[in-house]
Amino acid sequence: MKIKVKIKNKEYEVEIIDNNQGEVNIKIGNNAFNFNSNKTIANPEIIPLIDESIIFKKEVKAPLSGVVSEIFIKEGDHIKKGDKLLVLSAMKMENEIISESEGKIKKILVNVGQKVKEEDMLISLF
Amino acid sequence: MKYFDKIDSTNEEAKRNMYEPWTVLIAKEQISGHGKGKESWFSPEGGLYFSIILPKSNFDDLQTLTILAAFIVAKNIKEEFSLEPLIKLPNDVLINGKKICGILTENIIGENLKLSVIGIGLNTNIKSFPQKLENIATSLQIETKKEINNDEILNKIVLDLKKQFKSIII
Repeated sequence: MKIKVKIKNKEYEVEIIDNNQGEVNIKIGNNAFNFNSNKTIANPEIIPLIDESIIFKKEVKAPLSGVVSEIFIKEGDHIKKGDKLLVLSAMKMENEIISESEGKIKKILVNVGQKVKEEDMLISLF
Repeated sequence: MKYFDKIDSTNEEAKRNMYEPWTVLIAKEQISGHGKGKESWFSPEGGLYFSIILPKSNFDDLQTLTILAAFIVAKNIKEEFSLEPLIKLPNDVLINGKKICGILTENIIGENLKLSVIGIGLNTNIKSFPQKLENIATSLQIETKKEINNDEILNKIVLDLKKQFKSIII
C-alpha cells in the first residue's frame, strides 16, 4: 500500500508492506525500515546517505510576493544545492533565490518583469 | 570591521562569505558597486562604501530597517553638516536634487532566509563626478567644501542602525 504523507509542507510517498509474518516493511523514498513487535531495524543495505530534501524537492516557490528581476538559469540546466536561480525584487529588497536541491531544470514558469505572489511556483525540476 | 582596498562590491563580498551578523565590510573603492536592479553606483576612492550583515529576521523587519537606514543617513548628514537632505524612499538620499547616498538590502533565500545584508554607498570625499553623473550626483565634499571623516560618519550610521534594529525587534 502506498500513501502520501505531508510533513511541514513536504510530501513523502510511503510504501507499507505487510509480509503477514508479524513484520511490516516501510519504505520512504530509498529508505526502508522493518518493524515487528520485538525489534525495529533499519535495513542497512538499502539506506543511501542522501539528504531527503535533495530527493523530494522538485519545485521552487516564491518565498514572498514581488517582481522577478533576474533569472540566472535556463531550462535543461543542471543545478546543485546553493546555486543562484533568480532574483525577486520585493519589499524594497533584492532577494536572491538559491536552490536547496540538485537536479535538472524542467520548466521556468516566470519571466523577468513578472509579478508573482508568495507560494507561486517559479521553477520545476526533473 | 573588515576593510578592503578594492573589491567588486561589499554586498557581493557579503553574499560570497558567511560573515557573522553585524560584521561591517568596508571598501575604499568598489569596481562594480550597484544599487537596485543592478544600476551601477560610482564608487571611486574617497567615498564611503560599506555593508552590514544583519541578524536573521522576518521580511517585514528587514524592510522597515531598509527604510529606516535612509532616515539614519539623512539625520546624520543634517546634524553633522547642516545640509538639507531629501529622502527618496526606499533607497536614496538626495541633496539639492542630486543623489548622495544609495541603500540596498539583499537577502539570500533557500528554504529559509540564509543571509541579509544592507549596503550603503555614501558620496563623501568625491571631488567631482563624470560628465554623465554630474547633474544627478553630488558628494558631501562638494556640498560642504570640506574633507569628510569617513570613519566618524560610518560609526555613527552603524550605531544608529543597531539601535533601530533593537527597537524594531522588541
